[in-house]
Amino acid sequence: MTSFLRKRVISSAIPLVFVVLGVFCLARLTGNPVDLYLPLSATPQQRAEFSAAHGFDDSIPVQLWDYLTNAARLDFGTSLRTGESAGSMVLTAFPVTLQLAGMTMLLAILGALLVGSLAAYRPNSLIDRIAGLLSMTAASIPDFWFAIVGVLVFGVGLDWLPTSGTLGGPEIWVLPIATLLIRPFGVLVQVVRGSMVGALSAPYVKVARSKGAGPQRVVFGHALRNSITPVLTVAGDLTVGLVNGAVVVETIFGWPGIGKLMIDSILQRDFAVLQAAVLLTAVTIFALNILVDVCHALIDPRVRQAVPA
Amino acid sequence: MKSSVPSGPHRERGRAHTVLALLTTGTLLLTSACAVANSDAAGDAGSADGRTLRVVLTQEPPTLEPCESSLTATGVVVRSNITEPLVERDPTSGKLDPLLATGWRQTKPMTWTFDMRPGVTFQNGQPFTAKDAAFSIDRAVNSDLACNVDGYVFGDEKLEVHAVSPTRLTVTTEKNDPILPLRLSFVEIVPRTTSTKAKVRIPIGTGPYAVTSWQTGVSISLARNENYWGKAPAYPRARYVWRSDASVRAAMIDKGEADIATALDHTSADKGNTVAYPNNETTALRLDGREAPLDDIRVRKAIGMAVDRKGIIDALLGGLAKPAAQLVPPGVVGHNDDLAPVPYQVAAARALVKQAAADGVPVHRQITLVARNGMFAGISEVAEALQYEMARVGLNVRIRMADTATHLQYQLRPLPRDVGPVALLIMHGNQAGDAAFTTSQYLVSDGPQSTFGTKELDRRIAAADALSGKAREKAFAEVLEYQNDTVVQYACLAHMRGLLGLSPRVRYRPDSATGDEMRLAEVSAAKPGRH
Repeated sequence: MTSFLRKRVISSAIPLVFVVLGVFCLARLTGNPVDLYLPLSATPQQRAEFSAAHGFDDSIPVQLWDYLTNAARLDFGTSLRTGESAGSMVLTAFPVTLQLAGMTMLLAILGALLVGSLAAYRPNSLIDRIAGLLSMTAASIPDFWFAIVGVLVFGVGLDWLPTSGTLGGPEIWVLPIATLLIRPFGVLVQVVRGSMVGALSAPYVKVARSKGAGPQRVVFGHALRNSITPVLTVAGDLTVGLVNGAVVVETIFGWPGIGKLMIDSILQRDFAVLQAAVLLTAVTIFALNILVDVCHALIDPRVRQAVPA
Repeated sequence: MKSSVPSGPHRERGRAHTVLALLTTGTLLLTSACAVANSDAAGDAGSADGRTLRVVLTQEPPTLEPCESSLTATGVVVRSNITEPLVERDPTSGKLDPLLATGWRQTKPMTWTFDMRPGVTFQNGQPFTAKDAAFSIDRAVNSDLACNVDGYVFGDEKLEVHAVSPTRLTVTTEKNDPILPLRLSFVEIVPRTTSTKAKVRIPIGTGPYAVTSWQTGVSISLARNENYWGKAPAYPRARYVWRSDASVRAAMIDKGEADIATALDHTSADKGNTVAYPNNETTALRLDGREAPLDDIRVRKAIGMAVDRKGIIDALLGGLAKPAAQLVPPGVVGHNDDLAPVPYQVAAARALVKQAAADGVPVHRQITLVARNGMFAGISEVAEALQYEMARVGLNVRIRMADTATHLQYQLRPLPRDVGPVALLIMHGNQAGDAAFTTSQYLVSDGPQSTFGTKELDRRIAAADALSGKAREKAFAEVLEYQNDTVVQYACLAHMRGLLGLSPRVRYRPDSATGDEMRLAEVSAAKPGRH
């Protein structure tokens, strides 16, 4: 297991490094923040002082080296926009997104396991057809459209839910989570169904049925455990997508999460915050990937056996 | 397919159970965390308790620093709510009214004297004196803080400020400045204990409200300044939240979650809950006269003639604008009432382009039409309409939609090189109410936001800027007419109107300053059935 983990860490760390370096360099191609942060009348001296104070007058390799060495000491610089520590801004915003993405994914997995299993138990039945239609529709709906329609229908029209915001009772979670949930739920239902159909036709299930196991026992006691690996794989990828895709939900519903912080940082050329946000997101995705792999290995010994020591 | 009889059944089952247990525990933990984090049932904007005025903005202010109040997102919260200037401009009449200064006069050719209002205290209890006014002007205009108000209002001008007595202030300019009091209406007064080394996060001023909290990313809360020198505002508390999507802002008004919503979109707002108002913004295409084919005045004039202003306004802007003939709207000193928008004449425009082509002007060279996302509702459709209309008269146009920072690179000097001919879709807001603020930026040859000009136009602008009163109005009106006839840096499109969402519970009359300075003290509870 240790060897498996070590190899997965190394292979997953390579794209992490590329993402961090790529964002650093690409951000600097978008323009000079001096133009955004200093007034029209700023003197060349003020512009030079601003650049020097934030290290923009150094060459890109020097800036990169400074960034990496400071980041190693957990110093991510200061936000040009707010003057706050970039690290603390990111650490404030990130849990908001993580909470949203985590809740969404857990609900998506649990819901998909239930609906997908029901659909798979009787293939081509009415339930299966309805589940298929709904999941395909859900996986295809653009999230921003769903969010706006949700606000208009459930917020304004029916007056059941608040339009947006982060303060309030549990009802404030419904529309953001529903918006984020719809696509992963649709995809996962398809995956669970496909995986379960195969599992339910396997010999061991027939054996279990012949021994008198009931439908619940067959589905949840036998087939589900053996068909969960592909579900976890897809769920892992979808969770990664959720962390990034929270941008739409956060923007529309006013959630002060990492997605919105990233967008604001890009628009405001707030490099320090952008870099810190990307780094933390990349590390989280890296950790999520490792976690998914570990779950695979825990469930299916062949996964860890496939990785030579 | 996997085996149902793994080598270590109990161990494997245990692992699977562990994973499921982790999932369930995670759900429970997250759910409980949410419940703890959301104990305030009133929502972000607060409850409709009649004591809190709830305002939803388009974006979170990047800063509340008073010397950055010329930034729209900052000014709409700070100006005249938290801090106040010495004088204020009446957005309707254009005349200056006393605020923290009770009177002012030009005592020498380059010196103005201001009398301070007695009995005013800052929100921290410190009394307001001329020393504070001198400090604030010095801090905003002469310091190294690089304040936006410095660049936008004062340019390169430096001021000599002197507190003659606790109630008297003199301000001396480098050259005669007949509109100095107007410029000073942009300087918000702060106590002289304010930092001069760094911009402040929570400002202190003399205004009717004080900041009680700023929850980054969520809201800004204000409370009534009980020691305010003027009339007490109707609402004891105010709370700002921000939603970038116009339909959500409109929905918050419809649903009763907010009392005022800024910058609504005519396509998503309920007309019963909105009020349109002139916002002093003018849209125009800035034509880069340094690059062919835009270096030919016939081509620039043809673009102006090719644009169906009324059609664009009716079809794409919801009728919420008026065709424009100049960069400044009515009500701004220097606006020329006699100038009419260029008539829509496709055939004549096409003939002009053909004429230019016959003289060797490369009219088929691709022109880049640069527009900024979100500048106003329907901007991409307007850009497409302009592209179509310019193509109809024989020009080759491609659209580039840009974010603010990229758009600024095209808008401000130093202008980008080797990008070919550019028609930049701009929206200019002259909130100061004097054409000098427009001409110094957009029309003089080396203006921070102009691409070219002429010596004669520069001379006329400088001459007009030295005048005051009626002579000033007339001179700037002539400048604008001269530019339209002989320079044609711009194809003006429309004088825009803003759309404010207003709950039936409140009464407020927006004016041309509302977009940049929404005075909460002017909002009151509505009588039933009316705004």
